[in-house]
Amino acid sequence: MKKNTEKNAANAADGVVVIKNLTKKFGNNIVLDDVSLVIEKGKTTVVIGPSGCGKTVLIKHLIVLLRPSSGEVYFKKRRIDNLSEYELNRIRTHYGFLFQSGALFDSLSVAENIMFPIRQHYKITKRSGVEELVKIKLMMVGLDGFQHYYPANLSGGQRKRVALARAIALNPEVVLYDEPTTGLDPIRADVINELILKLQRGLGLTSVVVTHDMTSAYKIADRIIMLHDGKIIADGNPEHIRNHPNPVVQQFINGRLSEEDLAVLRRSGVDLQTRLTPRDSEQ
Amino acid sequence: MIEAMGAATVEQLGKIGRFGRFVWQTMLVSARSCLVPGTYPLIWTQMNIIGVRSVPVIMITGAFVGMTLAVQTYDQLASFGIEERLGVLINVSVVKELGPVLAAVMLAGRVGGALTAELGTMNVTEQIDAVKSMGTDPVQYLVVPRVLSCLLLTPLIIIYADLMGVLGGYFVSVILKGVNSQPYWSFSASGVELWDVSIGVIKGFFFGTAIAVISCYKGFTCKEGAHGVGQACTEAFVAGFISILALNLALAMVFKGIYYMLWPLKSLI
Ligand SMILES: Nc1ncnc2c1ncn2[C@@H]1O[C@H](COP(=O)(O)OP(=O)(O)O)[C@@H](O)[C@H]1O
Ligand SMILES: [Mg+2]
Repeated sequence: MKKNTEKNAANAADGVVVIKNLTKKFGNNIVLDDVSLVIEKGKTTVVIGPSGCGKTVLIKHLIVLLRPSSGEVYFKKRRIDNLSEYELNRIRTHYGFLFQSGALFDSLSVAENIMFPIRQHYKITKRSGVEELVKIKLMMVGLDGFQHYYPANLSGGQRKRVALARAIALNPEVVLYDEPTTGLDPIRADVINELILKLQRGLGLTSVVVTHDMTSAYKIADRIIMLHDGKIIADGNPEHIRNHPNPVVQQFINGRLSEEDLAVLRRSGVDLQTRLTPRDSEQ
Repeated sequence: MIEAMGAATVEQLGKIGRFGRFVWQTMLVSARSCLVPGTYPLIWTQMNIIGVRSVPVIMITGAFVGMTLAVQTYDQLASFGIEERLGVLINVSVVKELGPVLAAVMLAGRVGGALTAELGTMNVTEQIDAVKSMGTDPVQYLVVPRVLSCLLLTPLIIIYADLMGVLGGYFVSVILKGVNSQPYWSFSASGVELWDVSIGVIKGFFFGTAIAVISCYKGFTCKEGAHGVGQACTEAFVAGFISILALNLALAMVFKGIYYMLWPLKSLI
């Protein structure tokens, strides 16, 4: 573990996105505690960890949607965490961000959602050109023909795919995925996995995926990082993680509670049910 | 105890500071956006959403204000036999104070609530973060069109309220109470100056800006969940309402000053 962080510091130069000694507090709640990480170009880095451990907070720092309490963030060797919002907007066009909830604009149609970033950054003279582009992006996620739907009329998986099409609308170099498969059935989840792989292999994108879905993590990852109590406790290729000696890691990847937690759970709350009397027996 | 008070003070100051920065940013970006043609369609859309649907309710508000004023003041004036001057009284009150303030309060409830709810929901569903993540300034895309359209619309809406207030007063005084129509209007015309009407309309620019800026700010800073959005809407209305009253007082003092500067002798006549 120690060795890994040292290695990261050593090859910090090749990272597309680099965070150094990042600490993030909300009030007294320390969510990230002195985290350092180098995201390598063209690779898929997967961040795993239980819900609420700060995965979303971490990934939002990579694009500076949140600012560090202390520490630094670099994009292509340029420090970005201290830039003004105005300067950041230029940098952010190099990123695509797939939000946990999709975050599609619900007042805009699917096509308008995908056009949004294009409209914001390019002069659009011939509308037909953009429509072609929207069509291509939707074809990439298998949703051509849904241009005129509104987000409210799409299923969860379709929404995530539209959000993905929007995230890659500006041909970003780095795509950040926040729990892309959460809440989807295994088949739909696998569609998303294949899309992530296709983008990475086909277009050579650098991807960072936050997830607690181990099937997905093993399938897409070049490297897996586990976050626990605000720190990185494991870092390596999928094989390394699978055989990781740390029991916390093993429990998480196997989806099992520790024996003590299990014992507490079994002891509690069972006899309480039996003491309750149903309402209709009151009369 | 003292520590807690100190902490509360610091927190309040922090809030004021954040709001101040938001206002400053909105003004800067508004000024810049006026030169960008892409902003105009956004403003136009918002004006339609905000303005057109507010017209009926504003007209009703204005009419009731005028009618109520007439009912209340008629007896007093009639007891002196000067009920023909009713028009001056009603119309000056309507165009200078009641029309603008009540129209603005109505807008704070109707428009302010809707803006806060819309932006608040966008905030908690990460849509505002999404705007940022695509390299767009959410103040420019979301706040500026709403503020500018409120700024432009509120004066127009106040004119509607004024008109209906004047008609409402006329309806009760002349048609119900039987005051002579001709002197009613001639006293009104000599008593209500263009200045009075302009004050009311100019107030609209300030009220409209205040309502929109406060509502957008509350939406942007709203807390998680349905409860957070609801709370933000309530706070936006209360803050909007108080700032309308405060602005009204401040503007009244400023305009009095200007009036005496422009026409120093008028008050002596
Ligand atoms: N804007 C915020 N304000 C205060 N606390 C926050 C905020 N965002 C996240 N947190 C806290 O940070 C912790 C990690 O959250 P998050 O990164 O969303 O977890 P997850 O790993 O499930 O994505 C949580 O305890 C949450 O309460
Ligand atoms: Mg999360």
